[in-house]
Amino acid sequence: MKNFFEKIAKIDRRIVYLLIFLGVTIPLITKKGFKFEPLQEVKKAYDFIESLPEGSVILISIDYDAASMPELQPLLEVVLRHLFSNNLKVLMMGHWPLGLPLGQIALEKIAKEMNKKYGYDYVFLGYRPGVAAVILNMGKEIRTVFNTDYKGTPIDSLEMMRGIHNYSDIALLIGFEAGATGDFWVQFGQARFGLKIILTSTAVITPDLYPYYQAGQIVGLIGGLRGAADYEILVKRKGFAYSGMTAQTIIHIIIIILILLGNIGYFALRRLK
Amino acid sequence: MKKEIPLIITFISGFLLIIAFFVPHEPFGSLEQRFNDWFIIVSGFTLILGVDSLLLYHYKKIKRKEKDAPYSLILIISFVIVLFWGIYSGVKHGNPFAPTSTFLRYFYTYVFVPLQATMFALLAFFISSAAYRAFRARTLNATLLLLSAGIVMLGRVPMGEETVPYFTGITLILISVIFALEGFKRVNPLEKTFFLSMAVLSILLIFPLSAFLKRHLTEITNWIMNTPQLGAKRGLFIGISLGAIAMSVRIILGIERTYLK
Repeated sequence: MKNFFEKIAKIDRRIVYLLIFLGVTIPLITKKGFKFEPLQEVKKAYDFIESLPEGSVILISIDYDAASMPELQPLLEVVLRHLFSNNLKVLMMGHWPLGLPLGQIALEKIAKEMNKKYGYDYVFLGYRPGVAAVILNMGKEIRTVFNTDYKGTPIDSLEMMRGIHNYSDIALLIGFEAGATGDFWVQFGQARFGLKIILTSTAVITPDLYPYYQAGQIVGLIGGLRGAADYEILVKRKGFAYSGMTAQTIIHIIIIILILLGNIGYFALRRLK
Repeated sequence: MKKEIPLIITFISGFLLIIAFFVPHEPFGSLEQRFNDWFIIVSGFTLILGVDSLLLYHYKKIKRKEKDAPYSLILIISFVIVLFWGIYSGVKHGNPFAPTSTFLRYFYTYVFVPLQATMFALLAFFISSAAYRAFRARTLNATLLLLSAGIVMLGRVPMGEETVPYFTGITLILISVIFALEGFKRVNPLEKTFFLSMAVLSILLIFPLSAFLKRHLTEITNWIMNTPQLGAKRGLFIGISLGAIAMSVRIILGIERTYLK
């Protein structure tokens, strides 16, 4: 009996790894989905975007890199598709230089799919160092930070940019966050200039952003793969995030079962000693 | 003078920026903008410092023929390849990240992105294994953490409501067994009765508690996230901000000088 409890208290880590591997891959291959209701904070983000008049300018900030791709990249594509289908204009920039090309790849892919033209419907600004200083200066005049786009084209020569000078010309910022850059957007962009913000984030930093949502400093919050899946349901286009939720459900259940087994083993062994 | 000049620059910059924040009129009005411009330029140069320090560190490792020197050599070779490939693509296509650039298409998409994503994906295995090993209900605090983590983990996924009754049942049976064993061990009749009653109560709670959690799992999860979680986070944020203000004042006044070392 003691041997059995020892086994469940100290399951070989290779078995744990195998369970996790199977728990992730099988649902992703079978693509079976479960039904669920979108979270309120995601609905609010969606409703705010829906309420924007055609031609409004949306600033997108790419503040993540390849490490957070599985959570944020599917969402970025869904959001871009939603923005373009509502005839909103997209201005993209980022504070994470190594992740910024991911934004560029998604922007070019979706713009091509939706027949949108560079310079008229969307502009890619690129990266400038100095997070807080960049946000503050853009609140006064975007040209003080980005006088050219990422290709070196002067932004005054781009049709879309002619009337855009600062945050008063931008209807909404959507920040894709994998770190603390979202805090800077709220603290400087929203608090100093009243910029409307929706933050989308990896699940691990979502709890850090809830205070901003509850205080009304951000208009919506799309957190983790669950948020992305909720958004896919709202735009009626179920994709990678939706099928990923099945994998996440199974992994959560596996982890809880493992924790329960570990505790049963722990208490039994303590009793036997 | 080696210390005094940086201290004077810090004091004047900090003091002027505080004035500029509260007095938006000239000559202070445009100061913040100017300082921010300088900050952006200086930030750009810190990248060069980082590269210099990284290369120097690994060069020294190779020179001293340390155990991990081959990895340092790989790092330097990779650095050089990426740098020159990036410059070449930049010259040829106007930007290393231009859609036609081979740097973006081959290096970034097929080397950098998969490598970084793989490194991060490994975390899923380590975290699961660590959760299994570390999440033991050793103390009351650990038990509370364990229960709230379990509820949030189930409350945030689609099949949570369907699975929560089973986990509740197993947990309560486990609790009941612990109480029963503890009760049998006790000699004092009062203690014995208490522990055995708790064991019976745990069994009796299985059905009502499972049904309650199944019905209200989402509300309970939202309450955990919006009340205790947010309260703790706010407390942390306020503490961090107060600490940052205190540290800034110390730096501006020259009391805190560790950044000069």
